[in-house]
Amino acid sequence: METASITFITGGVRSGKSSFAEKTAVKKALEIDGGLHYIATSKSADEEMEERIRNHQKDRNESGYLWNTWEQPVNIESLAFYFKKNDVILLDCLTTLLSNELFSQDTGWSDTYSKKDEVFNRIWNGIKAIEKNCHHLILVSNEVFFDPLHEETELLFTYCQLMGKLHQQIVSTAENAYLVEAAIPLLMKGAK
Amino acid sequence: MHFVTGGAFNGKRKWVKENYPEGEWFSAYNKDPLIMNLESPWNSTFILEGIEVWVKELLAEMTMDEGRKYLKDVIAGWYKWENVSPDRKLIIIGTDITKGIVPIDKADRNWRDLIGWFYQDIAIKCERVDVVWYGLNQTVKG
Repeated sequence: METASITFITGGVRSGKSSFAEKTAVKKALEIDGGLHYIATSKSADEEMEERIRNHQKDRNESGYLWNTWEQPVNIESLAFYFKKNDVILLDCLTTLLSNELFSQDTGWSDTYSKKDEVFNRIWNGIKAIEKNCHHLILVSNEVFFDPLHEETELLFTYCQLMGKLHQQIVSTAENAYLVEAAIPLLMKGAK
Repeated sequence: MHFVTGGAFNGKRKWVKENYPEGEWFSAYNKDPLIMNLESPWNSTFILEGIEVWVKELLAEMTMDEGRKYLKDVIAGWYKWENVSPDRKLIIIGTDITKGIVPIDKADRNWRDLIGWFYQDIAIKCERVDVVWYGLNQTVKG
């Protein structure tokens, strides 16, 4: 597959991947005098989540650049239509998007299990559609693959399997891929 | 010997298939048994996949110390087999399960610890070690 104008950024919790992603987005937007968009996939379900969201919002406001924020917990493809060729889009983060897609209220777990391919395609098609309609897409995700997994724990197993499949697909087409370790971005793919 | 590791679902199998298309596979995921002594008289490329699963099975019957000792003997056996001929090649694939949150279950903690040691012991004996990250490999040894 051809290289897509995608930057993939992953790392552990609180590794500084979001702020690195924001800086990357601002830089890309400045280069072309383009618009900045932020797709938030988290639902503010509890206070802790709300605080995290507020912190991220504060950082973006203080960055001095104008961000358009879209709250889109599922079905990101529906946003593609709103973007323009000189927009830079940051999506934070894929792990939440996948949980939302897998565990959305209208599907039971047994249902979800049989819908694995559908969920994968929905997310991947959404990414492709947005990428086509913008200048550059930055995708933030999390490293979630280092726990002992059991096939018996079907739910976690399926989640990680799908997440891994998505990450592999994204990395294989992305222009750049970074792993952020303790706020240090390691370039895994592409040129600086 | 060539050790290939990385997190679960990172594309290790695909990478090994691309790099060793001639390999003969023994996979714990397919319930193949752990081969302690490679008795094969033929010169070939063997691929052992899912070694973390074999280790877990061992721990059902052994203490941690016995497990580590047993696994050292296993590695020695593999090493011996491979060194008979330059046409013999062993590729070992093990999922890294050592970087997550400390597991609640004692058995999982033991499993994780033993895996950490086992992978160290393997890496010492291997001439090449790669970490696969979403399909991309990073050669960390060799």
